[in-house]
Amino acid sequence: MTIDTKILSALRTAASNGVGGAELSQELGISRAAVWARIEELRSLGYEIEASPHNGYRLLSVPDVLHADDLLSSLGHMKVIGRDIQVFEETTSTNDVVEKLARDGVKEGVVVFEEAQTKGRGRLGRKWISPPRKGLWFSVLLRPQLSPLAATQITVAAATALFRAIHAHTGLDAEIKWPNDILIRGRKVAGILTELSAEPDKVKHIVLGMGVGVNLVAGDFPPELRKQVTSLRIETGQKQHRAELAVRILEELDRDYACVVAGEFEALADEWEEHCTTLGRRVTIQVGGRRIEGTAESLDADGALLLRTQHGHLERIIGGDVTVEK
Amino acid sequence: MDLKDIKAIIDLMKKNSISEFELERQDFKIKLKRGANGAAGPAIQYEESQGVAYNPAVALPPMSVPAPAVPAPASSEIEIKSPMIGTFYRAPSPEAAHYVEVGTEVGPETVVCIIEAMKVMNEIKAEVKGVITQTLLENAKPVEFGQPLFKLRPT
Repeated sequence: MTIDTKILSALRTAASNGVGGAELSQELGISRAAVWARIEELRSLGYEIEASPHNGYRLLSVPDVLHADDLLSSLGHMKVIGRDIQVFEETTSTNDVVEKLARDGVKEGVVVFEEAQTKGRGRLGRKWISPPRKGLWFSVLLRPQLSPLAATQITVAAATALFRAIHAHTGLDAEIKWPNDILIRGRKVAGILTELSAEPDKVKHIVLGMGVGVNLVAGDFPPELRKQVTSLRIETGQKQHRAELAVRILEELDRDYACVVAGEFEALADEWEEHCTTLGRRVTIQVGGRRIEGTAESLDADGALLLRTQHGHLERIIGGDVTVEK
Repeated sequence: MDLKDIKAIIDLMKKNSISEFELERQDFKIKLKRGANGAAGPAIQYEESQGVAYNPAVALPPMSVPAPAVPAPASSEIEIKSPMIGTFYRAPSPEAAHYVEVGTEVGPETVVCIIEAMKVMNEIKAEVKGVITQTLLENAKPVEFGQPLFKLRPT
């Protein structure tokens, strides 16, 4: 824990009572002047911290920024995910940054956020809209002891975690579109891109990238996309606290990841299936030049979509662009 | 080997959901392929190969068919196989250049393609140093577990 993490953690614990400068100085093992300097630094980042002779320091409000030390101070004891957090103002793509960390041998669980992506991308290099400070764009490094074939379990775990966090934070009726988009009223609000590096029999590492449209407004989206995408702000009519949502997502993700690693995937698969609204709908799937139409009937044990085609036979779908008829 | 034998192999492949079968003998080589879901009829490739030392070998798919246990072929080319079921992509995006072409020199860590399953993008590496001599599949096609994707000549 850094000094700032400890200070913010102490301020949060003390809440309205405040915490004395002498107390902080003793706890952190630094001088009172040094504490004051750190408080000033936090203020410059937008943290509103009151200092009074009676109450000591009190945290009045936090800015709408992602601050690694603050995120760490808010996260409880995480098993794996969020053990280390890095925040960048702007990078090309968080998946690229984490991929590099992975190659450098960094331990699993590190989370990289960025406030704006210059080359945010989805599947197959598709552009992902990431204007500054309006969303959560982050990637997590994982090194599970899984066979490459079981890596799709991570996708499912990520979808359920994201679903749960969004629902809990906003109260909105979220839904999962197969395999792992999160929709609200049929429009995409969050997506997941998982990149796997594997040896023939085991996973080397997984870069789990997530993008959540938090405070984007209609004008942030290109006109042609406005009927297909949305944000939590558009859906709730309120600006959402990004850091709080980020903490919630990481907590849920840590929980789900522990389930997958412990071999307790079944429960997650059930939860996923329960909220996957693609089932029972007529869908069109485009894979390369091939187009398959039918009714999404069920999911199999690996999470693949079983589609009843117009000719009556079942087709097992594991990829492609899925369009759900409204 | 006559038609009856070939038919027997096809039946075995169907029964065991095997998508590909290859057998190489002194004077001939046979390669059987079935469509991804068995709907398409088997495509049969039959090649004469000359000057090959007697080396009976059967390249077995991962789910083995009853076949004589024989050593692997001492071939100079290696196949890069798919470690999973998924969709095969030759480039990171439709606009991007292919990861490799015939003639591309690769190292063990060189990414040769992506296999996607349920939005998990699996970067497939060459695993050995060599030169790509053949690409066996078109972009955006479904692949089966163990299906050969490229041929590579180790250097």
